[in-house]
Order: sequence, then structure tokens, then C-alpha cells
Amino acid sequence: MSNSRERILAAAKANKPVEISLPTVPVYGGDATVERFTTVLTSIGGQVVWLDGLGQLPEVLQQLFPDAKITASLLFQGTLPVDARTPTDILAEVDLAVLPGEIGVAENGAIWLPETNMLHRALPTITQHLALVLDHRRILATMHQAYAQLPSTGAYGKFVAGPSKTADIEQSLVIGAHGARSLVVLLY
Amino acid sequence: MNHAIRADKFLLDADRTTWHDETLWFVREKRDRAVYAVPEFQELRELASQIKDHTLSRLDNYLMEFEAAAQANGVHVHWAADATEHNAIILDIIRQQGATRIVKSKSMLTEECHLNPYLIKHGIEVVDTDLGERIIQFRGEAPSHIVLPAIHLKKEDVGDTFHRHLGTEKGESDPQRLTEAARQHLRAKFLAGQVAISGVNFAVAETGAVVVCTNEGNADLGVNLAQVHIACMGIEKLIPRLTDLGVFTRLLARSATGQPVTTYTSHFTKPAEGREMHIVIVDNGRTQQLGRPDFRASLKCIRCGACMNTCPVYRRSGGHSYDFTVPGPIGAILSPNIDMKKHASLPFASTLCGSCTDVCPVKIDIHTQLYKWRQVLGEASEIPASKKWSMKFMGRLLASPRIFGMSGQFARKALRLLPHGLTHSSAFNAWAVARELPEPPKQSFRDWYQQQPQSIEQPQHPKVPV
Repeated sequence: MSNSRERILAAAKANKPVEISLPTVPVYGGDATVERFTTVLTSIGGQVVWLDGLGQLPEVLQQLFPDAKITASLLFQGTLPVDARTPTDILAEVDLAVLPGEIGVAENGAIWLPETNMLHRALPTITQHLALVLDHRRILATMHQAYAQLPSTGAYGKFVAGPSKTADIEQSLVIGAHGARSLVVLLY
Repeated sequence: MNHAIRADKFLLDADRTTWHDETLWFVREKRDRAVYAVPEFQELRELASQIKDHTLSRLDNYLMEFEAAAQANGVHVHWAADATEHNAIILDIIRQQGATRIVKSKSMLTEECHLNPYLIKHGIEVVDTDLGERIIQFRGEAPSHIVLPAIHLKKEDVGDTFHRHLGTEKGESDPQRLTEAARQHLRAKFLAGQVAISGVNFAVAETGAVVVCTNEGNADLGVNLAQVHIACMGIEKLIPRLTDLGVFTRLLARSATGQPVTTYTSHFTKPAEGREMHIVIVDNGRTQQLGRPDFRASLKCIRCGACMNTCPVYRRSGGHSYDFTVPGPIGAILSPNIDMKKHASLPFASTLCGSCTDVCPVKIDIHTQLYKWRQVLGEASEIPASKKWSMKFMGRLLASPRIFGMSGQFARKALRLLPHGLTHSSAFNAWAVARELPEPPKQSFRDWYQQQPQSIEQPQHPKVPV
């Protein structure tokens, strides 16, 4: 196998073209308003709800998800304490996960969610419903700005843009493929 | 069997062909709306093209940088020269775990390497977890599109398949209910998965991370529940810097499906505490393609599928007619590198209209490469004798004004005198299989022009000082 490594590297070196320079990528900006973020996120199946401060969170969640029995959260006392060692079959029972997002992107409705905000790496996709809480001042215009602001992508992290979905059957859009069936972004 | 013969099979069902054509064109239109909404989109295409060109020009350096960064992250890095080695490495990792249940998210590379049949042969259960891929896995078919693997099927087909394999009600064809059935079925598979295999959209040399983009969330679910993650990537997936993702994530989903971004853009850098992560870096003909100056740009491809959605030939012949892992225009320039003889007909499955090149987010000159492959295939005598000699004959004819004039005269007469059954016989005239030849004109333009009075004023040439 190390033999293949040497062979591949040697072939890449022998066959590559003369060096072409790496361009500087401008940090394109644009509309970074809450309105733009809301319009785009709504168009991809997400929902945006305003909070008058974080204290309102439990009450608003109660209104939005009256049937959620098992909840896990980094922001308030959920019914299930989750950490990196929580067994898979217990995670699978979670109805609602409420996690803090770090950065919102207005052009595509995406929110950066680092591992440190997830409780368990699988929680944001295995939960039936996902609520991400975001400071509206952390909304940026573009992906360039988002990547420029990330200190690093950590051990694991992802942009989440809307609920899990598929159009694999006849191009009919179905919300709720394998991941969360719904995504609510709670802005404060 | 060549592309045209396989396309004939697809075309037997005219309604389905029309549906396929219109559905993919609809995706192309969605792509246009998403693209026009980004003012700097053309600049992004240019930047993406330059970043990929640069990366290929330093590919060995970036591969080593990526390997070192990934190893520093605690990731096991493996190198595979070809499909056989790729498959053996993966089986070895699985066996070391004593695992038998594998969940897999979308990876065209593992399709290319025929990983599934190999693992199944060795007693491993492999479950494709992307909905489209699961559907075709049940049916024992290959994907017909790289982004929309089951686009050749109608919802009734999926209903039949699910009735047989998942016990959904007979005749159930509602996409919402069928998707829900798959969700329940696959959730059990995710929870039981011991090893998760994923593809890679982008590999960041600077951080050693692999980035995987999905809408369904199947990669995240599989990887984060299993003990071991194996990410399989071709050597061309590299990009130099984290910030380059700003360019590529803005291009990928807009070009693919017209979405502003995929639902999940996941960055896997280090394994979770107590778990394992492996990256298999695969060549399988890519360094050879890198050594072909006319065709190396095909390695810039980010697998968005835009060239398929826009291609008038792909839309009306279906992905299976290409009989290659990657169909459509991009597949037609990748496949001859792998097996020139087997895929000799694919560069001819094009009108050379150039629409593929126009929509390519990394500006690959696809239609130019299709044309160049035709020259290579001609030189290598990999085209049918009938095509070779008719092209040589036409070349002579069109190069000589005198012979061209005579042939025109002959054809105008012959078309009037010969019976329709002969002029439109499929044995002699493949062009007329589904078309009517035009009514031959009484005279040619040249004859008409010569009959015009010579007194017509010639345009005055401006006087150029000598």
C-alpha cells in the first residue's frame, strides 16, 4: 500500500501541468439582513421565529412543539441529558433537539453548527425536529464571509440549511428524509 | 453494444422519454434561476476553475499536505492505485472491526470500483442509504444520474419496488408515503450500522478535513452512529484552503439542483472520541488522465450533474445508455480514459452544441474535449468502419467545390426520382429513421446566383492608403 502511495505521488508529479497560480478569492458580501435570511430559509422549508430574549425560549418551544415528549438541549433543561456517550437507541427517541447556532448565512439560509454545540454528533440529524437558536447579529451575507469568520471547522461541524429533504422519487420534494423532519430557527 | 443501440431501448417508451427530457430540463431551469440570483456567479466559476487548475498543477504536493494534516488529526490514510486495491483496503478495515453491517452514503467512486458487489460477495451487508440509491439497489440497477440516481424511474416503479421489498401497500405511489416507508426502514439500518462508508465532495489540504454534502442527512446519520467512518475519495477531490469552500459550496448545489446550498454541508476532520476515521485516496486512472493535456481538465469536475441536465442527448437517451458510472457529457470524456474500446461510442453521443460547457461550474471545456476524443478515437481506429469511411468521403466531397456542386445536382434529381422507401430506408439513411428529408429545391443557391443580372452593385471597399 505504501508502494501505491509512492506510485500515485510519482505519477501525479510526472503528469501534472506546469504550475498555475492560486487565485485570491474576494470575500464577496451582499444582503445580510434578517429579512433576506428569513425569505431564503422559508423557501427551503425552514421556519424563522423571533424571540424577545432567550428567557422566552421554553415558552415559545412549548407553543411550537406541544407534542414533543423527549427533548435535548444545550440551552435549557431538556427531558433527556445527552452527551457524546449517550447510546444510539436512546438518541433515536429524541423528538426535539434545541441547539445554539453560531453563524447564519443570508444567501442560503445555512447555519454553522460546530460539534461543541451538538451534545452528540448524531443528535442534529437523528432528532425528529431541530431548533437552532441564533443571535440575529451573527447573520452574514455569504459563505465566503462565513468561512472567513470561522476560527476552524473543529473536529466535526456542519452548515445546516433547512430540514432534511429528498426529491429522489420523480423529483417530488418531500421534507423529512432521514434527518430532522423540521427546522425552526429561533432568532433573538 | 454502443450508445445509440442502448438509447434505442430507452426510446421505446416515448411518454417516459418525454417525461425524462422535460423533468431534467426543469432542473436545468431551476439551476438558471438560482444562478442568476448571484451577481458574481460567473466570477465564481472562473475562480473555481483557477483553483482546480492550480490544485492539479501541484497535485502531488497537496496530496502530501492533505495526508499529513489528516494523520495529525488522528485519521488513518490509505492509498489505492486502482479499484481492486480500494475494495481490498475497505474489506480489510471492515474485517478488522469484525463488522458485517455497513451503511453507505452516496459515492460515485465506490460505484466506479464496484465496491458493493465485492463486499456482498465477502458476506458483508451493504445498505445504500441515499433514497435514490436504495431504490436502485433494491432493483439491482446502476444509478442513471450522479445526483438523481433514480431519475429513470416513475413513482409507480418505486411503489412496486417498495411493495416487494418493504411491504408497502400494493399500488402505493405517493412520494411522501414512499419516502416515509424508506425513512423507517433505513433508520433501523442506521441504528444497526457498524461501519459507515461515505464519499467526499471536497478534501481540504490545509485542514485534512473531508466535506460531504447531502440533502437527506444520510451521511451524517450513518457516520455519526457507526463506530468507524471510511471516506473514499479520488485524488482530484482536493482543494487547497478552507476558504476555497466559500467558492465551491456556492456553486455546487445551485448548479446541481438549483438549491442555494445542500441541506447539510458537513466537515469531518477528526474522529469522535473512541471512534475511528479512515480516508482512502484512490487513483484508478486519474493520474493517467492528468498526463493527457487535452483531457486533464476533466479532473476539475465537482460532480454536480449540470452537464447532464442540460444535454439534449442525455435527456433523451437516459443515463443507462452510457453504460459508465458517470453518464452524460462529463462521463463521455472520462470514460475513454478508462477503456477506450468499450466506451468508444460515448464521445459521439453529443451534438457538440456546447451547452454542457456553458453550465459547467468549473468551466471544463466539455464539448471541445468530446470533439478531441473523436479525433483520438479515429486515429486509434476505434470508430466503426462505416463512420470512418463515410466521414473520409464527406471530407473529400465538402473540400472540393466542384464535387460538392455535382453531388448537389445529383442529390436533387435523385431525391425527386427515387422512391420514398429507398431514400428513407433505415439501412442506408439513419438520419431519416425519425425524420423526413426536406423537399429538394429546384436549383442550388449557386445556380440561382449565377442567373442574377451582373449589374448588381458591388459593395465599395473603403480606400486604404498604401
